[in-house]
Amino acid sequence: MIGILKSMATTMKHALDGETFTVEYPDVAPEVSPRFRGVHKWSQERCIWCRQCENVCPNNTIQIVMDDQRNGEQYNLHIGQCIYCRLCEEVCPTDAILLTQNFEFTADTKDEFAYDKEQLKNVPWYKDIDPLESREPDRGAWIGEGDGEVDYQ
Amino acid sequence: MQSAPLPETLANLVGLDPNSTPVMIVMSLVGAALIGTLMMTNTALAGPWAKRKITAAFTDRIAVDRIGPYGLFIIVADAVRLLSKELIVPDGVDRPAWDLAPLVIASSALLGFAVIPMGSGIHLADPEVGLAYVFATASIASVGLVMAGYASNNKYSFLGGLRAVAQNVAYEIPLILTGASVVIFAGSLQMSEIVAAQQQALIGPIPSWYAFVNPFAFVLFMIANLAEVGRNPFDIPEAPTEIVAGYQTEYSSVYFVLIYLGEFIHIFLGGAIIATIFLGGPAGPGPASLGIVWFLVKIWGVFLFTQWARSAVPRVRIDQLIEIGWKGMLVLSLANLLLTAVIVGVIA
Amino acid sequence: MSLEKPTPDTATEVGVTEDGLDYDALADLLGGHVLDREEHVNAEGFVIRPDEVQEVLSTLKNEAGFDHCACVTAQEYDDRYESIYHLRKFDDPTQELSVVVPTTKDDPHSESAARVYDTADWHEREAYDLVGIDYDDHPDLRRILLPETWQGHPLSQDYNQDQPQIVTLRENANPLEEDHRSEDDPDTMFVNIGPHHPATHGVLHVKTVLDGEQIADIEPDIGYLHRCEEQMCQQGTYRHQIMPYPDRWDYVSAGILNEWAYARAAEDLADIEVPEYAQVIRTMSAELCRIAAHMLALGTFALDVFGDFTAIFQYAFRDREVVQNILEDLTGQRLMFNYLRLGGVAWDLPEPREEFFEKTRDFLDDLPHKLEEYHDLITGNEIFQMRCVDTGVLSEEMVKQYGATGPVARGSGVDYDLRRDDPYGYYDELDWNVVTEEGGDNFSRVLVRMREVEESARIIEQCVDLLEQWPEDEREIQANVPRTLRPDPDEEIYRAVEGAKGELGIYIRSDGTDKPARFKIRSPCFSNLQTLPEMSQGEYVPDMVASLGSLDIVLGEVDR
Repeated sequence: MIGILKSMATTMKHALDGETFTVEYPDVAPEVSPRFRGVHKWSQERCIWCRQCENVCPNNTIQIVMDDQRNGEQYNLHIGQCIYCRLCEEVCPTDAILLTQNFEFTADTKDEFAYDKEQLKNVPWYKDIDPLESREPDRGAWIGEGDGEVDYQ
Repeated sequence: MQSAPLPETLANLVGLDPNSTPVMIVMSLVGAALIGTLMMTNTALAGPWAKRKITAAFTDRIAVDRIGPYGLFIIVADAVRLLSKELIVPDGVDRPAWDLAPLVIASSALLGFAVIPMGSGIHLADPEVGLAYVFATASIASVGLVMAGYASNNKYSFLGGLRAVAQNVAYEIPLILTGASVVIFAGSLQMSEIVAAQQQALIGPIPSWYAFVNPFAFVLFMIANLAEVGRNPFDIPEAPTEIVAGYQTEYSSVYFVLIYLGEFIHIFLGGAIIATIFLGGPAGPGPASLGIVWFLVKIWGVFLFTQWARSAVPRVRIDQLIEIGWKGMLVLSLANLLLTAVIVGVIA
Repeated sequence: MSLEKPTPDTATEVGVTEDGLDYDALADLLGGHVLDREEHVNAEGFVIRPDEVQEVLSTLKNEAGFDHCACVTAQEYDDRYESIYHLRKFDDPTQELSVVVPTTKDDPHSESAARVYDTADWHEREAYDLVGIDYDDHPDLRRILLPETWQGHPLSQDYNQDQPQIVTLRENANPLEEDHRSEDDPDTMFVNIGPHHPATHGVLHVKTVLDGEQIADIEPDIGYLHRCEEQMCQQGTYRHQIMPYPDRWDYVSAGILNEWAYARAAEDLADIEVPEYAQVIRTMSAELCRIAAHMLALGTFALDVFGDFTAIFQYAFRDREVVQNILEDLTGQRLMFNYLRLGGVAWDLPEPREEFFEKTRDFLDDLPHKLEEYHDLITGNEIFQMRCVDTGVLSEEMVKQYGATGPVARGSGVDYDLRRDDPYGYYDELDWNVVTEEGGDNFSRVLVRMREVEESARIIEQCVDLLEQWPEDEREIQANVPRTLRPDPDEEIYRAVEGAKGELGIYIRSDGTDKPARFKIRSPCFSNLQTLPEMSQGEYVPDMVASLGSLDIVLGEVDR
């Protein structure tokens, strides 16, 4: 009986202390680690079309189309299929693709999750966190970089 | 304290003759509707809203707070949601029984409120066998549970129905025996008499509520009542982690609402019985017209207790439940009854 | 075969010497049964005839003390099928032996080991299901992961992946349609518990025959969450592509423990030395994962016993949340960490380091108070004790027969923990204890988990101290590993780590390419779940549910 009373006292203590651990999303944006892996952002200026990200991707999420002169034409990424392992970012020699902290994305159909290069370029930064800066301080950040003149090759 | 029953008051209010039978029949129905609405309102508040808030408080969460002040409009949203759902009738259910069961469960509990003196003159009827009547109507619910369990053509429902019977039989007897000890004190089965008997002061400012006069009986009754209304640790007829949802597994939409409603009304009826026979009914500080407020506070207190127990006490196993019922509760309640009889006999 | 338990005194076991196993003595013991001897990375393999399996294995079990059949791997070569029985000892798991049973290609028949090791029952069913070897004298050789109607064996070489699998309406008929009343005992009732049931922790189907409320017969039916994890790993490259997947085997926050299983096997296979600093980080993060996993186990077990979503479940989740926040800071993700790399870890501790240490220390400081609260709520509660003490009892003998490991084994008094017995990482440098309880019931399994949380906290504390004092210029998180890893052909290895649920083993066979030729996962949940019938026969339904909860299975790992 004492054990039961102790249990009940414990829960009552919690009820009365008024503390809650609910995060009131979306009113309160949750704390996200700078290392968090969310939707990809891609920079056409930086990409050298080496296709390493396509090769390393464990489940063929990235699809790159090139013409016969090996000029990049399309860069498609199916963020609905992605497992967010960050291997593409890890192998990229120019930091052209990286995973932002942005975890908020919705679509009505699965097809809409297949992002092309324009959509990938326009993925917003989350709370102005530059993933590169927070992950490895010695690597150059590109948060301020605009999408100016596109320089193919 | 003795006030006229509600139908009489109503008849006087609209200026009709309280001695004519047709007037009294109509007024009784009106009174019943009033009391029914009052209890339904309480249930509506408890089911979709208060229960969530209370559980959330125990588990360090916030719960509903988006729709309306303190999330209160969730009641409307839930009502719309539940009523607009499809009523799925599974293949092979035993039709009349399956349809009747939710009605029986919900209405049997409401019947009990007819004889409960709620204070402020809200008292539909005051028969001499009041307490026996309440216990009788409350037990009808078990019939509903068995009907639901048996007619659903589902093995989980079937197990739930069987468990409900075993549990109700095992705990009804201690419940009634403990209630009987109060009857010995009060010397009457009439609810108004029982309430009146609790008016004098016991020691100093403490009134002679039977919870103070005989705390042992009070504790026994509270525990038996938990089993009677099927709440933790005695919620085995439902036992979500074992038999899915027990007797209510196959019910959806309106039928589910009725069963859910019935459960909550049952908790409140249990609270009402406890308030009446152990906590002085509508008694409390302030003018007598505040009686209904005190009465509601008491039944909500009992509701809170069931939720509190739910947050911290594990469910017992069916064989343990039966063992506690027959070997523990029954013996204790018999002892309580004998002791009360001896004490009352010696003092009187 | 004698029923006598092998004596724990290792001196009487054949082949045990001061410095490990003497395989020659073991070969002598088996005499003419050994056709050939293979060299595997972890142990030697004895090749035997397919019709002498029981004889050889029972000799090894009774006379050489190999009481733990960790895993059965089946695979198909160009010229033969092969079943490998990975044997080890509960007393000393570093003493390993592989028994290799080749069978012909056109008629793959092999004698079953299920009569010697009960655990081989399910393992051989899986081998039959996926690879297609027939085991003679098997008690119940049916498909286990795939549906009964499946055509072909997906891991065999001639399997056509594009072939449609047709299930006729008749075979898909409603199992409830017929009356399952058994003829010998008309008083029983057949109930399907699961795959959609509030207490089966995922999609587990338990075929139950009830006698009243008591369980007359019970059979877990798995495979609803089979995702071809082994095959997916066989299609990924060692260096990068396999590592994200272990997180998804036991997906309830035991990710780094799983990753470590793969990392350990692959690193030993490719001879990669992991820097010490990385080992400390691995140890710390793995123990954080263990705490998170045990918190979840505790919460869901309370859920099973208490009923609704009660306070304990929420409290356990709230505390798990703290661990997950720490892990998120470290790895970037809350569940699918992908943090370990072959030869190290992906990231050093997050900057500023002091903040990370402080956060971790705060958690560790709060933990004793929280555990005390759990003890008040759970273990001290009389009704909880009534429900859990002496229910779902699993004897030490049964634990060994079924190859159960982890908290389940330790709750039955089997002192078996790979972190200590087969040391890896930084565990042997640290000061901690292996927790065991004698009861073997649901209650002792809960106690083991709760006390293991304390031990994990001790390990983390020591790791944090070490990391804090680590000189800045020696913080090497990654060894030099070639970008494309091609281990030598025909190397075979079985390596295991102590996952949250028990011995998580990986068998890899290389074929000279950058992808494994065979990748086999020895899931602890798979073996542990086999003990469920043993634990719950004759018990009440609620106790079966509680036992299932105390096994702490994750169907993602059972079905893979």
